[in-house]
Amino acid sequence: MYEIRFHGRGGQGGKMAAEAYALAAFLEGNYAVSFPFFGAERRGAPVKAFTRVDDKKIRIKTQVYEPDYVVVLDETLIETQDVLEGLKKDGTVIINTQRKPEEVRLSKPVKCATVDATGIALEVLGRPITNTAILGALARATGRVKIESVEQAIMEKFGARLGRESGEKNARAARMAYEQTLVGTSQGGKEFVPRPQWLPDVHEMPIGGAIGTMKTEAGLIGIGSFVENKTGDWRTFIPAIDKEKCIGCRFCWFYCPEGCISMVEGKAEVNYDYCKGCGICAHECPAKAIEMTREVKA
Amino acid sequence: MNIKDLSDEILFTPGHTACAGCGAPPIVRNIMKIFGKDTIIYTPANCLLVFGGTYPYLAWKVPYFHEAFENTGACISGVARALRKQGKKTLVVGIAGDGGTYDIGIQALSGAAERNEDVIYICYDNEAYMNTGIQRSGSTPYGAATTTTPAGTKIPGKLDHKKDMAEIMRAHEVPYVATMSIAHQRDFLEKAKKARDVEGFRYLHIISPCPTGWRFDPSLTIEMSRKAVDSGMWTLFEAEYGEITNIYKPKKKIPVKEYLMGQGRFRHFTPEMVEELQRWVDHKWKRIYGEEP
Repeated sequence: MYEIRFHGRGGQGGKMAAEAYALAAFLEGNYAVSFPFFGAERRGAPVKAFTRVDDKKIRIKTQVYEPDYVVVLDETLIETQDVLEGLKKDGTVIINTQRKPEEVRLSKPVKCATVDATGIALEVLGRPITNTAILGALARATGRVKIESVEQAIMEKFGARLGRESGEKNARAARMAYEQTLVGTSQGGKEFVPRPQWLPDVHEMPIGGAIGTMKTEAGLIGIGSFVENKTGDWRTFIPAIDKEKCIGCRFCWFYCPEGCISMVEGKAEVNYDYCKGCGICAHECPAKAIEMTREVKA
Repeated sequence: MNIKDLSDEILFTPGHTACAGCGAPPIVRNIMKIFGKDTIIYTPANCLLVFGGTYPYLAWKVPYFHEAFENTGACISGVARALRKQGKKTLVVGIAGDGGTYDIGIQALSGAAERNEDVIYICYDNEAYMNTGIQRSGSTPYGAATTTTPAGTKIPGKLDHKKDMAEIMRAHEVPYVATMSIAHQRDFLEKAKKARDVEGFRYLHIISPCPTGWRFDPSLTIEMSRKAVDSGMWTLFEAEYGEITNIYKPKKKIPVKEYLMGQGRFRHFTPEMVEELQRWVDHKWKRIYGEEP
């Protein structure tokens, strides 16, 4: 049996990727199961999904804690969490990034495959949905399933839901990724400090759980404490405001879902710590002073 | 009132976890600029509850409570009465989604309206149970595909039309009922201000396009609000004690088809289905505006 863990963000299709991979393995005569793990996450929040493949019936139903392969659909995730956690000794990590495997820094050096799945998805699908492209990279890096099976699984899974044409496009994205995947070894040595949690004992717990604003070891909690939750790494596209063109109308300031645009000396300014890159500001700007471009992540 | 008159103070902070392009955060952030700090917020289960706070973290900067799905109307009634007894004028606001208003919360809401409690009830309407993964509600428009009304070969999405909740609330003859859209800034702000200043039961009903559930590009959220109004799918009016006192009429009515295009939930529409929805819109148009569309 081998196990795969997918790390993605809600809406990127990690769950569909896990399912489509299971179907590809099944088409080759294996037993396969897949399931997602999520709580109340919105689109953009980190989520996980799992696939297990075996040549006999699979009885184990738990999450995957010691994967053979780890798939990362969004490279910003490798900055904030140790995606290698529990990875088996000879395991492989497959990452959606524009970087080469040797340029990726993780907690330890491991076999690493990289592909610009976002670039491929934008080119083939016109949308930054990377779940099908990454499957091509997974097939290439592991050699566990044939790319033809992956294509067939995508056609069946996505074709049934989104129509034949869309199924074919997604299969093409997987094939392109298969051909462009680079396999090598990552750098190691990156340290991760787990985010401390606020865990009060029974005496510290306020009555009814009601809290005002409180400074704790886990940071700010209570009223207004979400300001410490930086959502900027959710985005794929980034707005740039042309100060010359900005007429100070405040439309973007009014409409921004994050409330992360402020007016400085009569001109709009974005706080990128929070901007999720939705593009409403650019679409609503009457002066066409805002441009959205794909963000190049360092 | 104009957006330039709004303060810079933010009472619903960034860092919340709504989907990119969500229609609800700009609604609550801007409405809170009008309501001000002396406000108490109640929310039942809805997206706003989840993305506005994950205990112990919270985006609200005013007192905030989470109550059960069905009792928003009852909770805000009790809190408002207790505060008035203490001589406090604090605004008590319940914010529910369409599921918590049209379906699950309607009895407590109707009761609070009947008793003319001194509260504001806001329904932010994204036309399905988005929080649990896009299930149809009483607000879901005809033909829309949701996970419980999928567009298949036999049944093409939801078979029933959207319930007219604002009209139900108007029939309660409460002091103030208004329907709103964030794309219509001045109208939006004036209504929020009026709701703040009126005494007694106030009901605000705001369209909140959902890129995830309606399946459109997140940059088009405001555009969707605008097109909903221009097509007549969403009508903007104010009513006082049951009488309509103000109607916003779009300058140019667009065919409902223009609103449907670009939304994945209507992708499967046949010309007959477009016609059926247009018929519903035209009927509503005539009722509200008193003239043929």
